[in-house]
Amino acid sequence: MSAPPVAGSTRPDSTTDAALVGAYRTGDERAAAELVQRHAGALGRFLHSLGADPGDLEDLVQETLFRAFRRVDGWRGGASFRSWLLTIGSNLLRDQVRKRKGKLVPIDDRDIAADSDPHAELAALEAQERVREGLARLPKLQREVFLLRAQEGSDYEDIAAALGTTPGAARVHYHHAVKRLKELIG
Amino acid sequence: MTQCELLAERIPAVMLGRSEWTAEERQHLDACPACRQECEIVGAAARLGKDVAEKLDLDGVVITLHQRLRRSRQVDLLRRRALSIGGLAAAAAVAVALWTGNPNRQNSAAPVAGSLAAGQWAIPLPELQSLQPAELDSLLRTMDEPNVRNAAVQDPDLRDLNSEELERVLDSWEG
Repeated sequence: MSAPPVAGSTRPDSTTDAALVGAYRTGDERAAAELVQRHAGALGRFLHSLGADPGDLEDLVQETLFRAFRRVDGWRGGASFRSWLLTIGSNLLRDQVRKRKGKLVPIDDRDIAADSDPHAELAALEAQERVREGLARLPKLQREVFLLRAQEGSDYEDIAAALGTTPGAARVHYHHAVKRLKELIG
Repeated sequence: MTQCELLAERIPAVMLGRSEWTAEERQHLDACPACRQECEIVGAAARLGKDVAEKLDLDGVVITLHQRLRRSRQVDLLRRRALSIGGLAAAAAVAVALWTGNPNRQNSAAPVAGSLAAGQWAIPLPELQSLQPAELDSLLRTMDEPNVRNAAVQDPDLRDLNSEELERVLDSWEG
């Protein structure tokens, strides 16, 4: 198989993830490229929010995508493709942290954009840092449910399918996470 | 459901810019610090890592991903082939073991070998059939004799032997 470079894509946005996954299964590498363009940014953001080291982020995104496409038959469409992908990334990050016995990285170690209002940016980063610190103290499932809802706007059915729980339990996890974050931050 | 609970379900969508507050919801937010705090938390979480995501080299990720996937497909293919060859080899080994390990097979092997040897003796040689027993005997003896002349030519070391040694060697050739 020798497909040309597939970084660019001309597929219409209306093509569903399920259709793209189906196309990839039949050997269409451009379908995989389109899925990466759609979801890799969210995956990076999610992993960063979970405390991934910025220096490792691109490798983590790469490895998550590789694992996902290697076992893409495991995605049955119960959860959205993105939620399924983020769950794989979360598990990968957990394994990496365990192996290294490492810590999650504080947000204030990260760069501040040079072209922004430094005061507003700093205030935003401080708020984000507090949230990140709070997130780090939540149980894994609560953290994932909260981030899937807050960052992706996923509904409870989708979250439940991705994380192997029920919509009712996902809702409870979300509200517990919010309550705990309020206590930790407030 | 209380107004706070209703609002809580709407906060993520509004913070992500997918929806807007209604006038009634705004009025509630103005009067409810807990809901405002929840908006701040969910809003901060929604913004978390946006700058990092923008820095990702997605084109590079795609190219590397395809290279890795192609390589892994090749490795899978080779592994499957190796497994099938290994399976065939194992099956062949089992078949041979069963064949040679069969006691009936071993017992029946001897007569086969014997009959084969007998068959070899029975091969007809028409050019020999016209010979008398004495002629045949003479012919067989010449066939058994070593080619002394050629051996001497091919093996110059014989010239180094003294007469006694040479005689002993010749005797051993003649039996």
